[in-house]
Amino acid sequence: MGTVEEYTEPSADSRLERSANHVWQNRQAYLLIAPAAIFLLSVVGWPIFETFRLSLYRSPADSALETYVGFQHYVEILNDDFFLQLLWQTGRWVVVGVAGKTLLGLLIAVHLKGDIRGRKFFRTAFLIPWGIPYAISAVVFRWIEHPQYGYLNAILIKLGVIDQGIGILGNPELAWLGVVVADIWIGTPFMAIIFLAGLQSIPQELYEAAAIDGAEKWHQFRYITIPQLKSVILIATLLSTIWTFVSFDTIWTMTGGGPINTSATLVIWIYQVGLKNGNLGEGAAYSVIGFLFLLVFAVVYLRIYTRGGEKL
Amino acid sequence: MTMAGQRRSRLRKVRLYGVLIALLGIMMFPFYAMLSSTFKPESEIFSSPATLFPTEPSIDAYLAVWSQTDVLLWIGNSFIISLGTVALTLLLAIPAAYSCARNEFVGKRTFLLSVLVVQMFAPVVLIVGLFDVITRFGIYNTYLAVIIPAAAFTLPFNVWMLYGYFQTIPVSLEESARIDGASQLQILTKVVLPLTKPALVASITYTFLYAWNRLLFVLTFLTDSEKYNVPRGVFSMVGALQTDWRMMLTVSVIGIIPLLILFAFLEEYIVAGMTAGAVKE
Repeated sequence: MGTVEEYTEPSADSRLERSANHVWQNRQAYLLIAPAAIFLLSVVGWPIFETFRLSLYRSPADSALETYVGFQHYVEILNDDFFLQLLWQTGRWVVVGVAGKTLLGLLIAVHLKGDIRGRKFFRTAFLIPWGIPYAISAVVFRWIEHPQYGYLNAILIKLGVIDQGIGILGNPELAWLGVVVADIWIGTPFMAIIFLAGLQSIPQELYEAAAIDGAEKWHQFRYITIPQLKSVILIATLLSTIWTFVSFDTIWTMTGGGPINTSATLVIWIYQVGLKNGNLGEGAAYSVIGFLFLLVFAVVYLRIYTRGGEKL
Repeated sequence: MTMAGQRRSRLRKVRLYGVLIALLGIMMFPFYAMLSSTFKPESEIFSSPATLFPTEPSIDAYLAVWSQTDVLLWIGNSFIISLGTVALTLLLAIPAAYSCARNEFVGKRTFLLSVLVVQMFAPVVLIVGLFDVITRFGIYNTYLAVIIPAAAFTLPFNVWMLYGYFQTIPVSLEESARIDGASQLQILTKVVLPLTKPALVASITYTFLYAWNRLLFVLTFLTDSEKYNVPRGVFSMVGALQTDWRMMLTVSVIGIIPLLILFAFLEEYIVAGMTAGAVKE
């Protein structure tokens, strides 16, 4: 026994010594990242830990009244029919939103790609909806969709589509569509800019060669643009999926998740339950479920980002 | 080029600009709805169905908004929050990014990847835990309650942006300073930072916009209406029992003017920042 200890201890010591040496030699490097690392640990890491902890407690906003309940919140959520409805509403919100942003963004990018006079003007103009407060975009869309005074109803009446104003945001069937339109409007510029940058990196010779071979515009798009743009589209739609999934300001300002919770998504529900109703514990349990979704997105993103063993 | 070919290419041009202008029209329509409504007199804005053009344009709303709302206060608060966030983020991100760009050390990869994951951890999913932590810090209902989380969630972008840029600056420039015995921090501030302008501008613009535009933190961590920023102020106006649409839209127009100025001057940097994570050369 003694010999084994004699054998292992110096080795552990020297390993410790080696890493102490490494830290000492690189002390400047560690000192420079320390503030950022400590900051992120306390402002992001700690809340993550707190969320997990809180999800095991029944805790009203006053934390002195916490009682440990184990996994009770999770059991209740998973047995609640509303949870399924919430997942369905979140799913359609993300799918329709991301599809709208991708298609509209692609359409804009393809038309901005060529030798356009005033491209800088167009690009700046298309960028603006992305760069202004979501809450402001949301109130403007609320105004456009206003049942009595809104521009949308005025236009539809003028075109003879309807003869009386409809209240989109107050209608349980239509409200989420009224909000998703605003969200698409906000998210499209990012997609357009990313796709434009991607398009501009496609070698022009590919198109020239195809044109000589007599390829139609549509075929060029289908067989050159789309394959060349594949990785850009992949990353952009993935990022857009994450951002649409966590989109809060727009929904909260336009409908608050209503009417009768039909425009609520998972993140709206986290806020509603945890902060509006003040049930921190239950809200935290919904957050943990949200983490799981984000974790899946993050793993996919990191895999794409670091693909091919790229050096960091 | 043949005559037919010329005609075809001209036709294509016309169609291209036609589609572009139509798309621009769709994207600009909400701005039109917002702007045109603010120029309507009070009687006209509540006409049903809405008039698409103001019949008697007036600037009454712009004259009244200063006395009837707190728009100047909100803009002031937005500046405090945005500039505070920019300062804090840069203070943390610059040294960290530089350290990663110039040194090989155990834990660097972990650090950079965790930072990337933070970017994915949207604040709203974390809001319950964050609420708990902010109250424990004792900063609830202070500007810091908004600045600190905003800095945390803009830090990843800043670290990666600057890290990428620092790597492109040749080490040879720093060598003479190092021989003179300067520390990394001194080399960073004296030699490297002056060369980092494009990345710094992109980082600052991104952070400034992020802090200016977000409602969530102000909604959750500031209850004192004296500290509201522009989005929170606008939100409080639709939350009111009777929404004064005309005043609210006028506040919105005024609230985005600083951003439009930013856009006009810094568009290229904004685009560079947006594409940094998604498009690899």
